[in-house]
Amino acid sequence: MSRKALCIAHLYPDLLNLYADRGNITVLRRRLEWRGYDVDVVRVTHGEVPDFSRYHLVLLGGGSDREQAIVADKLRGCKAEFQSAVQDGLPVLAICGGYQLLGEFYQLPSGEKVPGLALVDMVTEAMPDAPRLIGNIAVWSEEVGVIVGFENHGGRTRHGHRPLGRVLHGHGNDGVSGEEGLRHLRIWGTYVHGPLLPKNPALADAVLRDALAYAHLPDELEPLDDRLEREARAAFAALRMADVAPMLRSEAGSP
Amino acid sequence: MLGIWIGKLILWILMLRGRDATSLPGKVALRIAPGLLRRFGGRVKRVIAVTGTNGKTTTTSLLASMVAETEPVVTNHKGANLAQGIATAFLRACSWTGRLRANTAVLEIDEATLPVVARDLPIGVIVVTNVFRDQLDRYGELDGTLAKLLDGIRQTQATLVLNGDDPLCRYLGLRSSRKVLYYGMRRETARSPRREQMRDGQFCLMCGQPLRYDGFWYGQLGLYRCEGCDFVRPHPLYQGELQGGFLRFSEEGLPALMLDLPAAGLYNAYNVLAAVSAARALGLPSAAIHGGLRAYRPPEGRMQRFDLEAPVTLHLIKNPTGCDSVLDAVVSDARAKLLVIGVNDLAADGRDVSWLWDADFELLVEDARLTCVIATGLRAYDMALRLKYAGFPESRIRLEPDLIAALKEGISSSAAAGAAMHALVTYTLLHPAARWLSERRDQLEPQGALYRTSVS
Repeated sequence: MSRKALCIAHLYPDLLNLYADRGNITVLRRRLEWRGYDVDVVRVTHGEVPDFSRYHLVLLGGGSDREQAIVADKLRGCKAEFQSAVQDGLPVLAICGGYQLLGEFYQLPSGEKVPGLALVDMVTEAMPDAPRLIGNIAVWSEEVGVIVGFENHGGRTRHGHRPLGRVLHGHGNDGVSGEEGLRHLRIWGTYVHGPLLPKNPALADAVLRDALAYAHLPDELEPLDDRLEREARAAFAALRMADVAPMLRSEAGSP
Repeated sequence: MLGIWIGKLILWILMLRGRDATSLPGKVALRIAPGLLRRFGGRVKRVIAVTGTNGKTTTTSLLASMVAETEPVVTNHKGANLAQGIATAFLRACSWTGRLRANTAVLEIDEATLPVVARDLPIGVIVVTNVFRDQLDRYGELDGTLAKLLDGIRQTQATLVLNGDDPLCRYLGLRSSRKVLYYGMRRETARSPRREQMRDGQFCLMCGQPLRYDGFWYGQLGLYRCEGCDFVRPHPLYQGELQGGFLRFSEEGLPALMLDLPAAGLYNAYNVLAAVSAARALGLPSAAIHGGLRAYRPPEGRMQRFDLEAPVTLHLIKNPTGCDSVLDAVVSDARAKLLVIGVNDLAADGRDVSWLWDADFELLVEDARLTCVIATGLRAYDMALRLKYAGFPESRIRLEPDLIAALKEGISSSAAAGAAMHALVTYTLLHPAARWLSERRDQLEPQGALYRTSVS
């Protein structure tokens, strides 16, 4: 196995840190380390300029409206580099506020439009009198199975790409379409946090396989002992989302 | 009147049955008489409101204890800080005809509740302890919490007593156009950060530029200044400095006070500083300040101790910054130890448990004296998973979703190993844990009950 380290960039953890994205980084790092890979996590903070040629995976987390506007402003300064890396296959995991940033704009309840990066064909609008979409969520993805977590967003998102999956329980992109998240190139966009990855190990591994392929590292991931993860998914669904519990119960029983 | 009677009746029945009624009587009374708070508000001369993310309950109890040295006081002791909890505090203090003996109320008020009740109460002083991330699903995001606080403050003419070391409090001070008195730790005692911690509001709320820190106390509390405008930590009127087990409190032109600290840790020192600053703002004499500190008993879950088969300490955890302070206290306990960590996800706990991943549970991995962790509560599995990814060996994590079973198992394992036990639980597990631990203590020493001097 090559000893080249997989390089994960956590963009602006000092700004986009609303929903424990530190947990997502921890999960990505551990699941690589347990399989013998070397991992290099780069925290790109507000004073630094990201170097997209170095990264094999970019994580964009959620922030408050104010902080998101600051990040959008910063990233527009290196938009061309980001865009060409993404076109080239750079995997991006974008959650909540980070997800909204990938689109053309995010319209605040006041009507003000915060321009995004336009990496994808997508817009997000927050209506002044529409309620926030808050609560537990489960999504069915063809690629990775059931994704569980928590969502909390005021914005309604529409886009012209594949969704990450269909909503089984909760609201998703806009609360009406039944779609959640976005898949395009190697972009994984979603409103699901909780954080996203600890209780969704199949999703974590899918994102890692993308990153390893992009880094030209061996991407045959050996299975890990995910018993606790499966039990946690099943227990969470049994407690809070009875409608999807049977799907996860059968999964927890599997070896 | 009917509301008061019914509320008092429920209170009386619950007390007869040995229940601790902190919210239900007020909830029912408010449903029958929605104007109840306004009525009580009209019967007291002044209300001191204590709000903020962490330390509200302790600060409220400390301040109420100081005021009680000089006059009768109405207060909501046990952290019941929503409208129904406030109504219950008044119901508890009033006669069957609704009369109050006290002229002053010291009330802990939830950040989101402040704007709802601000007009009904003659709030003369508002203390804001700090603004950290807490229960995002209830409040939306942090900026929303600030907006609610500001909205509440602006509905009053209150003097503000604010933590000047917290940039978010400073923002409230600047934006409120009210008279503001700041407290803070002595400048020279700030330190450089030890490890990566959560820091909210690292950007100037006035202009959006980054904040520069010359030193920190904890969380985002520190010596901040904006790189882009003149937003800067104010020079505090009331200053605190930890000296041994005491807090040296100083105010220019007055002799310094050496204050007893009822509990260890910097965050407790901040609570004492907040309470004493408010006491000074109210004009309380130093005898009342000292007396109030001596009379104070830590409320449920603020490092409450129980001597059972093994020594047990009960802690409340509810957000990353508060949890980190508790974890700090746990790992600095030099004894061999076992942990029970209980996580629920009911409304009062926060339905989103993602905050567990912002808290520094990695600290536990480095603690060689920690033998085992029992995860419990509705979200026991999420807690276990958090520990697994922190690097804590899975073989030393036990799962017992039932709280009482987990406490029993923890105590017997601790007793067998000669270890101490720390129980860290979220809000809705706190009362059941405290009640069970107290009952256990009473069973163990029934003959001692007559002679015990203090009952908490």
